[in-house]
Amino acid sequence: MSTSLIPPESLARVGEVLEGPVTVPIDRREAQRYAYAVGDENPVYFDEVSAHAAGYRTVTVPPLFITHALVPPKSAQMLREDGLYQDATSIHLEVSRMMFGGEEWDFIEPVCVGDEITATTRLADLDQKEGSKGPFVRLVRETTFVNQDEQVVARSRQIGIAR
Amino acid sequence: MNKYPSSGSISVGDQLPVMRKKANEAELFLYSAASFNPHRIHYDRGYAHHEGHHDTVVHGPLQGSWLTQFVTDWAGPKARLISIEWQNRASAFVDEEVQFSGTVVALDTLESIVELEIFERKADGTILMPAKALVRLEER
Repeated sequence: MSTSLIPPESLARVGEVLEGPVTVPIDRREAQRYAYAVGDENPVYFDEVSAHAAGYRTVTVPPLFITHALVPPKSAQMLREDGLYQDATSIHLEVSRMMFGGEEWDFIEPVCVGDEITATTRLADLDQKEGSKGPFVRLVRETTFVNQDEQVVARSRQIGIAR
Repeated sequence: MNKYPSSGSISVGDQLPVMRKKANEAELFLYSAASFNPHRIHYDRGYAHHEGHHDTVVHGPLQGSWLTQFVTDWAGPKARLISIEWQNRASAFVDEEVQFSGTVVALDTLESIVELEIFERKADGTILMPAKALVRLEER
């Protein structure tokens, strides 16, 4: 049995709200910049008539856009050497490297331009596993996205791997 | 004749049309800007080397959005993506062509829901992301 990479005070944070709730409007220009930046020029993101024909109330947005719509504006004073922002919510672990392990998304209701989305992110899970390259920590940040009508529109689980 | 799949027109084992993607430096920069992501490994080759990467790194979530496009382009505008998940296994780099391929692995004809198994691979076959998606196809 290897030593624990998860200090008890970090384990105690499972379930804690890490970010939010924060509410943002879904902006047409921002969403379209995102669609162009990923090279997805689906007419339902650009054209009202195509969006209606596809059964949407109005122009919709690329599925993963909502996570970026919620990114808070931050001062350049907070940039670290690697270009990432200092993160006050980061979980203390006895590891040297954190990597993106993957994501899991559920899409429950459509998100359209003009919606007001409220997002809350929790530390959903934190556990140590044994891998072929030694022990690692699996950290899950779960975000729930709710619209102006109090409908849950999506849930994302971002999985971080730390070793 | 509808050009998009319906539960009556597809079968388990069907392959999706392959989608190829490649991002140059300007496109990586645009994605960093559109997602307000200042991480240096996505635009500074020297810094990417310093962190042990072979070249400027393609953002994981950019590949995630390529993945959703792969599914929604196939399924058509009236279909609805229900869920998607992927694992990041390896890094893709600037100017490197990647390929998405997918297979229908389950089909619920009553609910018109299809399950897809998807892989994003490098040209040499290395798996970048294994993925799964559930889609509700257009009902008619």
